Amino acid sequence: MESESASLNNNKHKKVVIIGAGPAGLTAAYELSKEGLRSVVLEKDSVVGGISRTVNYKGYRFDIGGHRFFTKVRVVEDMWEEIMGDDFLERKRLSRIYYKNTFFYYPFRLPNALWGLGIGNSIMIVLSYIKSQLFPFKPEDTFDKWVSNRFGKRLYGLFFKTYTEKVWGIPCEEISAEWAAQRIKGLSLLEALKNALIQERPSNKDRVVKTLIDSFHYPRLGPGMMWEKVSDTVTSENSEVILNADVEIIYTGSGKVDKIDVLVEGKIQEIEGSEFISSMPIRELIQKLEPKPPKEVSHAADMLKYRDFLTVSLIINKKDVFPDNWIYIHDPRVKMGRIQNFKNWSPDMVPDQEKTCLGLEYFCFEGDGLWTMSDRDLINLARKELEIMGLVDAREIEDGSVVRMPKAYPVYDSTYLDAVNIIRDFLSQFRNLQLVGRNGMHKYNNQDHSMLTAMLAVKNILGGNYDLWKVNADQEYHEEVLGDKSIEPKDYKELSKTQPLVPVAVAQGEGGVEQTIISVFAGIDKLALALSVGAVSGGAIFIATILLILKGGSVVGPNLLLLNQYFIGYSVSIEGAFIGLGYSFLWGFIFGWLFAYLRNLLTGFYVYRVKKSAELSSFRDFIDYI
Amino acid sequence: MTKTRSDEEKLLQAVAFLNAKVLGLILGILLGLVIFIATNWLLIKGPQVSESGRQIVGPHLQLLSQFFIGYKVSFSGSIIGFLYGFAIGTISGSLIGWLYNRIVNIRHRL
Repeated sequence: MESESASLNNNKHKKVVIIGAGPAGLTAAYELSKEGLRSVVLEKDSVVGGISRTVNYKGYRFDIGGHRFFTKVRVVEDMWEEIMGDDFLERKRLSRIYYKNTFFYYPFRLPNALWGLGIGNSIMIVLSYIKSQLFPFKPEDTFDKWVSNRFGKRLYGLFFKTYTEKVWGIPCEEISAEWAAQRIKGLSLLEALKNALIQERPSNKDRVVKTLIDSFHYPRLGPGMMWEKVSDTVTSENSEVILNADVEIIYTGSGKVDKIDVLVEGKIQEIEGSEFISSMPIRELIQKLEPKPPKEVSHAADMLKYRDFLTVSLIINKKDVFPDNWIYIHDPRVKMGRIQNFKNWSPDMVPDQEKTCLGLEYFCFEGDGLWTMSDRDLINLARKELEIMGLVDAREIEDGSVVRMPKAYPVYDSTYLDAVNIIRDFLSQFRNLQLVGRNGMHKYNNQDHSMLTAMLAVKNILGGNYDLWKVNADQEYHEEVLGDKSIEPKDYKELSKTQPLVPVAVAQGEGGVEQTIISVFAGIDKLALALSVGAVSGGAIFIATILLILKGGSVVGPNLLLLNQYFIGYSVSIEGAFIGLGYSFLWGFIFGWLFAYLRNLLTGFYVYRVKKSAELSSFRDFIDYI
Repeated sequence: MTKTRSDEEKLLQAVAFLNAKVLGLILGILLGLVIFIATNWLLIKGPQVSESGRQIVGPHLQLLSQFFIGYKVSFSGSIIGFLYGFAIGTISGSLIGWLYNRIVNIRHRL
């Protein structure tokens, strides 16, 4: 008890400095305040929420990308509900793909897809799929080959190529296949076999599908409302959230971070702390360190790339434009990647229900043609593209605004993983510095994942020992954190199924059902079965022959002798017993080998079929994770 | 650094072990049932006339009595046959399972 109270007192004296007031940074501050610890949150921008902010333009609210609130992590869900209360709406999801003047429901609905594609196209898709199964691309080293091998080249061309290239700005032929394979990691073969063998109860299955695909939670005034509330809560608890605070220098020494110089309103402020949590982009973090890190580390940081993003929000003088929450734009004629209809996320996102606020999303690189276009030109581009697609009459567009979001997505190119590892290795010497969040870890984390890393970082400050890098990356690790009752191990496991790409290969837990499934589908050793069946059948004939010899009689074993019609040379005699043993062993051996071979072949076929079926079913929500 | 095995690798590398007792029990029940049903089937079918003009039931299956002492083609014989079949099937199945597991252990050095 004494040591617990000493540890508590020790913690109370800690001052935690958090860089970034996005979901990760603010979650950390919130969790610390619940433990009675003071923190200072430094935010470079003038608003909180990071990429999960909600921008308010003349009373019209819009997100930087749509932020669905769904998670399988209970502690995250609890925090959302705790903060939002009655303002946490449950919304139905409707999203479609726009391609060549046609809308396709997404996730796909077969009749709608067939109708939209036409019979001829549908037949070609089926033929293309069959061809991809019979003659897959080899080697399967690029994204286009990987997707084509699973869904057929035609479906790839229709639904993946254009959108993926818009989002990432790289030709699919240059994207590594590993990138796509990581997406499908949530689709475990063992899980698929388990589902094939153990049918889920319909009610439970329906609930899961409904939760993850057909509906989601959303704050009444957008995700920014959540983070504004969190910010208010932590500041009322004796912590600080400093906006427009640009981190200039991070001083390190003697194996820890000492203090931070921050530029606030043109003046440098010195912020000291005993613990530091950073959600700022790793590249910038390394650049701000003093003394400067080794060249190798700086070079690694410079290798990290980001995909940037801008939203053109347009106010439309029309009550209903389209019923979707968002539309994926696969049409190559336009540059936009998605359109959000914020009124359909929450009616309170617009001040006038007779009008609509659309967010047209463009993926770009900081400094490229789109990024550097003037706001006016961007609004004109958006207006023109809406007209091309026939979604809105340009005369109905009343007003517009542009928000640019740098470093929206960490890029997973061929060098990023090595670079991150070098940086991680270097930063591990600073025992009071923890990296959290999306850009803070250069991991394509969703909001819930970022929040979880922050929660674990706080637990580490309180004496825990969690490896934040293993969250959503190593399920065996997830099994190890059983000690913490507030975070269930399944939280980590389930999380990986709802997350976008994460680079580290995931291993299934070795125990329980998985182990049983492995043993059920394990191959029979052909030679072992052949030898054992051969030995037993050989032994049986040998014993039977010997028994008849021992029994004796005027004619010994006339009926067993009939075996010599097949076993040439066999007789009911000692010599014949050995000959019979040899023949019977041979036939038993052949039978055992064939049995094992056929059993393994059929089991393999079953496993292959389950795997293919699971892969094909992933097509349903694949685009959500690009 | 140990490489984490994928699901596919785990499945491909896994070798099945047989439960010798269960295999014995299954083979025992099957063999016992085969003899029981075959005997009763001949009883239902009724006797057939032999070359010597005698009416006999199941002359060929009757040959089992050379190994199964007390067995005959009758209902009580079918129960005795079931017990013999069950015993032999159980022993054979268990033996196959036991031998198989031993060989797998040797081959995969477990």
